[in-house]
Amino acid sequence: MKVIQARRERQDKISKLMGDYLLKGYKMLGECCDVCGTILLQDKQKKNYCVSCQELDSDVDKDNPALNAQAALSQVRERQLAAQSTAPSQAPEMNEGPSSSQASVSVPLPRPEHCEGAAAGGRALLPPPAVPSPSPPAPTPTLAPTRPPVIPQTAGLQPVLQEAEEAILTKLRWATNQLQSSASLESSIQLCSLIASCANSLRSLKELSQ
Amino acid sequence: MLPMEHLHLEHVLQTVCVLESVVLRSFGPEGGQVLFTRDTGQAMLSRSGTRILTALRLEHPLARMVVECVLKHSTVTGDGSKTFILLLASLLRMIQKTACKEPNVSHTYNSRETAEASTARHLADKMLAFALEELDDIIAMGVVPYGCCLSWEDFTAKTQLPTCPINHCVQKLLASFFHSRLGRTHCDFISNLTCEMLTHWKFKSDLPSSLLQFVNDNFSALHTPVSGFPISCSRLIEGQVIHRDFATPCPQADHQPVKAVVVTGCLQPKLLSAGEVLVLGSGEQGREENSRKESSIVQFTAWAERSLECVIAKLQSLGVSVLLSAVKQSAAVLALAAQADMCIVECVSEDELSLFAQLSGATPVSDCWMIEPEHVAALTFCRPILLGAHRYVHVAFHDSEERITVKPCSLVICGPGEGQTDQYACAFQDAIRMLLSTWEPIDITATTASKKTLQPNKSTCLHVDNQIVKASPFQQCVLEPGCVIPAGGTFEFLLNHALLQHGSSCSISDDTIMGAPAVSQLFANALLSVPRNIYFYSLRRFLQTQTRLLSFIQNHSHPFSHVYKQEHNTIVVQGRGKSECPLEEGKLINHCCGETDVSSQVFMSDSGLESVSCKYQLLVAVLQCVSSLLHVDTVLHTHTALHTPSRRLADISWEGTEDEAED
Repeated sequence: MKVIQARRERQDKISKLMGDYLLKGYKMLGECCDVCGTILLQDKQKKNYCVSCQELDSDVDKDNPALNAQAALSQVRERQLAAQSTAPSQAPEMNEGPSSSQASVSVPLPRPEHCEGAAAGGRALLPPPAVPSPSPPAPTPTLAPTRPPVIPQTAGLQPVLQEAEEAILTKLRWATNQLQSSASLESSIQLCSLIASCANSLRSLKELSQ
Repeated sequence: MLPMEHLHLEHVLQTVCVLESVVLRSFGPEGGQVLFTRDTGQAMLSRSGTRILTALRLEHPLARMVVECVLKHSTVTGDGSKTFILLLASLLRMIQKTACKEPNVSHTYNSRETAEASTARHLADKMLAFALEELDDIIAMGVVPYGCCLSWEDFTAKTQLPTCPINHCVQKLLASFFHSRLGRTHCDFISNLTCEMLTHWKFKSDLPSSLLQFVNDNFSALHTPVSGFPISCSRLIEGQVIHRDFATPCPQADHQPVKAVVVTGCLQPKLLSAGEVLVLGSGEQGREENSRKESSIVQFTAWAERSLECVIAKLQSLGVSVLLSAVKQSAAVLALAAQADMCIVECVSEDELSLFAQLSGATPVSDCWMIEPEHVAALTFCRPILLGAHRYVHVAFHDSEERITVKPCSLVICGPGEGQTDQYACAFQDAIRMLLSTWEPIDITATTASKKTLQPNKSTCLHVDNQIVKASPFQQCVLEPGCVIPAGGTFEFLLNHALLQHGSSCSISDDTIMGAPAVSQLFANALLSVPRNIYFYSLRRFLQTQTRLLSFIQNHSHPFSHVYKQEHNTIVVQGRGKSECPLEEGKLINHCCGETDVSSQVFMSDSGLESVSCKYQLLVAVLQCVSSLLHVDTVLHTHTALHTPSRRLADISWEGTEDEAED
């Protein structure tokens, strides 16, 4: 139904464009375009012109991933969804904990604006958050950070690091408490991964302060 | 083998949709105008559908065919070319939708496309048959009761009877026509001018259609376009204007009446034409032959001149002082006539001469040897007139007995530029054509007449209630001449409602897509595209108008029931929600002007009026065009032009863009 609707709208658009050209002085020929079957127009310089091929986006090309970023993206998403439901997920590399399949759906879906650049450049660009977010399915970074860690002056660094450490330890404690009282497998797995990432962050903080 | 192209339904639809998108934006009273420019820099604004369509450069054969249909329709009714294209497009869309849904599977076809094409063709034929047989009944029953009949007597609001509502007059009909054609500024002035002109030309005893036919046929001789003045300078002048100047100086003739003679040939006998051999009288003289021959030629020319002098003398004896000639006269004739105090007008066009002959009662002279008194016309005056940049001959006729009430008058149409003046003149003529098709009595063909008298109760199409007066329900359900209805989509809404009712009341056994209910439903849905496009700027207006009309129909399902009771004291049919009251002949409708109640007056006092019979003819023409379009199967491309229709269109002044080379 949507296809019929889309086709009708496209035909309406074609008719409107052709009407505009006719009013501008183009000539309507008796031939049709070989590619799409639309009636050809001829301008005053005797050049033939097909409205749908040269102006509107093609009906068919928009589904070709080689020509369209959106199509490529939808193809990637489809593949990811298919892969996640069967194989273990491409979890973050710091996840040495129990194999978390559906839990850490922390594979962030690539966003289109990033992927446009990805199609051009080829690098994924999700910067890692400095502090892991408090929500249980922690969207921890999986891919390599682009930003090289900036090393501010040592004087200003210490209080910041201390604050970070405290926050992480608080979270660690909370997660441990939760883990002891948790009854479901899913939440336990998630809490374990949270603890693991907290530990990792603490390690990085210690490295920074040295 | 000539290259062939098979046509599919989509091609046809696409062609028509493109034409629709071209005219769509100028459609309706709120529509815009199209600016035409030429390479020379001249520009013109126009809203006329025929002008827009003929200015497009179209080489596609289907598109040309459609434009030709539109032009032909427009020469008959004078209006409705954009509506034609709109209805055509929406009908084709509905047919395509229906055909794609269920192609007729009872036959075997090569492909789905041919199945669809054949279904579409059958649908179109069915609709055309339906329109030719039943549409006028449906219109007479479902639409005409809500309109009214204009009587030919009341032209302007001033001559209205006090009982008649002020809106119902010919002037109002013309005003709404000119409003949509020329814009709102001058429509009242121009419609007043047209009414004045028609009043002057009215023959008391004649039908309006003969008068309008006369004006339409002679319109080119009855109007003078003058460019360079504002349109408010347009006026009527008495008599006739002959669009030529005097060839010899016009003497100041004070005595009345001025006598004139129309001459169709050359007064002076032609000496020698190409290809002729003049054999002069041979004498028995031998050696003097040469000199004799020379003198023979001289004698011949002398004889020719003497005969010319005789003709002029004869004319003088009859008192003739003006000669209107269809051809160019020779210098000798001009000289002799000037000597004899006669003025000559040369190269007058045939239309003008025939009009002159009709108005003056004098027959044109065919043989200049026999000039009788019956060839002499009596004029009140014959003098030059300066209109714009040209000098013309202005004549006025003596009142004769048979046309005592007719004051012949001629229209001077002014406009700022040549193109605009031409547009105004075309608008005038189209208005006359529109009036002509409104008042033309719809001739009932033999089949429909027999159907009406033999089958008073067509049980397939209407409920046969035993209360219905069976005697003559259908005998006089015809479209009365002069029927009008408020403009603004009213006709389409009412007809839509009537068609849906007709479809639902038809026999339910015929349930296929080719059945009568489906056909009328398809037609009804296609009709709604017209008011939808009139109100394109506001969907709310469209819905409001529709609901208002439908509620009016529900409340007043017997618009003339009380009139019927008062006038004829008979039992009224109590159909539920159906306007089925059998209409008596004409009388009822003519009473409607005075007897309708207040609410229907409110209903009528909308913007403008339009003619019902024009709309009916438009619908039939559109259906015929649809049917012929869908019957086209294949296009053969020939290398030489079979005929050159574009040359024919070159008469229109703005056709300069269409100078494509025929390959």
